[in-house]
Amino acid sequence: MECAPAVLNFVQELLAQKGDREPLAATSPLFSNARLQSIDGIQVALFLEERFGVDFASMGFEQEKIDTVDSICALIEESQPR
Amino acid sequence: MSTLTGTGAADVAVRPAPLHAPQQPHARFRLIPRLETYPTLVSFCQTVPGKASLLLVFGVGLALATHLFFLPVLLSLILITAFPAQRRLLVTCCTLAFALATCWRAGSLPQAIDIVLVCALAGVLFMVAVRLPQSPIGRRPLVCLLAGFMSVLLLVSYFPHDSRMQNWFWGFLTVLSGYLAAVGYSLLDRNSKNRDSFALQLGTYRPFWGMTVIPYPKGAAYLRRVECKTPETLAVSQIKGVKLLAWSLALLLLLKLVVRVIHGSLGVPTFASLFALSAARSPFPWWLGWAAVVSAFLEKLLGISIWGHQIIATCRMAGFLALRNTWRPLESRSIAEFWNRYIYYFKEMLVDFFFYPTFMRYFKSRPRLRLFAATFVAACLGNSLLHFFTSYMDSVQSFGLLQAFAYFQTYLVYSAALAVGIGISQLRNAKRKNGWIRGRLVPALCVIVFFCVLHIFDDDMGKYPLGEHFRFLANLLHLTVW
Repeated sequence: MECAPAVLNFVQELLAQKGDREPLAATSPLFSNARLQSIDGIQVALFLEERFGVDFASMGFEQEKIDTVDSICALIEESQPR
Repeated sequence: MSTLTGTGAADVAVRPAPLHAPQQPHARFRLIPRLETYPTLVSFCQTVPGKASLLLVFGVGLALATHLFFLPVLLSLILITAFPAQRRLLVTCCTLAFALATCWRAGSLPQAIDIVLVCALAGVLFMVAVRLPQSPIGRRPLVCLLAGFMSVLLLVSYFPHDSRMQNWFWGFLTVLSGYLAAVGYSLLDRNSKNRDSFALQLGTYRPFWGMTVIPYPKGAAYLRRVECKTPETLAVSQIKGVKLLAWSLALLLLLKLVVRVIHGSLGVPTFASLFALSAARSPFPWWLGWAAVVSAFLEKLLGISIWGHQIIATCRMAGFLALRNTWRPLESRSIAEFWNRYIYYFKEMLVDFFFYPTFMRYFKSRPRLRLFAATFVAACLGNSLLHFFTSYMDSVQSFGLLQAFAYFQTYLVYSAALAVGIGISQLRNAKRKNGWIRGRLVPALCVIVFFCVLHIFDDDMGKYPLGEHFRFLANLLHLTVW
């Protein structure tokens, strides 16, 4: 996935801001094991809106879809016009 | 830079860092050791004698923690542990059996019928939301659910008073109100790629480990994420379940000690009795008021921790490594952080139901307003709405909708103040100061004072009018208003 490095970088920076420098894999859960909190979900959403033009108002927002780097990339692909 | 190699869903269970926080650089003192990191123990707990020992220890702990229902809960856990492949289906069966057994125990056949009807209604709504994604329920399921509930409530309040029809509807709405949040989570799961069937969704409708209005731990989507997929993760989850129950028992002892020392040895009256004195215009020293408020705040904190830990411990024993409901709230350095650590699953519900939908739709060009508005909608509007629906059905039935709203005004003030506090706390996003006193102690004390004062208005039963709460606060501030 082309977006993976950018997303991974962003999530790693977000985790680093919270003092979490544990290794991050593409399938590591972010919210369901509390590495990120709901309020951090906003940062992820804003990043996706600004960088990839994802429109959550039309597609709805579910935390499950941004729980891993992989699922974030899948969401970006899903949101792109075909 | 870490690689993109996957570690799988087992990460949730075997991640070495403590839940809710990254690993600390220095080792903390632990009352209960991290048993889940002992390979020999984890291996033993995957064997039949190991599982039996864990269930036995948990059963003893549960019997000490709660006399009610501990045996049926233990039997359910034995069943689920014995057949892990059918875990989700067994959770549904046990949950339904518990719901109906509770009605049978209370001798209430109408309530059992209402539960069946509520489940049937939820099934229809779920089916419509899944099959007709362009319908109003498919597009805005939560708005439809809450607006629908409110409309029926309004309609029923105008039925002939105490008529058979009205009484039946009250019974039904009261039962439905208890399931409202769970149904909401089901509807939110409608678009998930690997969503569960409705039969499995039913297992999250007041599951047997809690049977509370707030869905612990969230809905089916969350259960899928935290479900143990291997014998090793199940062993880790069950060890953590036993540990959490042990911790809740330790907190229970602490609560009993606190109550005995504060109200017994020190003679500080309870908040409720002092409030009654205030309402009866009997003066009391302001410092005694503060002592009662702080003790009530601590007791509530401990009570919610104990209760939440018992529910999540049972959930972990069933094979779902869910996060704790309360996690070191007194270490919070901001109001928003406290709210997140204090009652996690209620906050998550408000975030999922109200915060995200508002944030994603409105004020996109004004970031600060966007954040504040979404916070306010969740912490004030959502919080009030759900409390009204779940706690005020009796008041609406007895006194009518308008009078019930009047009784509810104190809680409205409480949730508005809470929302403003959290909103400002998020907007400030203050830089952390260095040093233990300025960096940790002072912010933590400020947060505690805020929530102590707020506790004066935390009256979701509407026992006293709003003015009495302000009168009590004035007394604490040494402003005589008798």
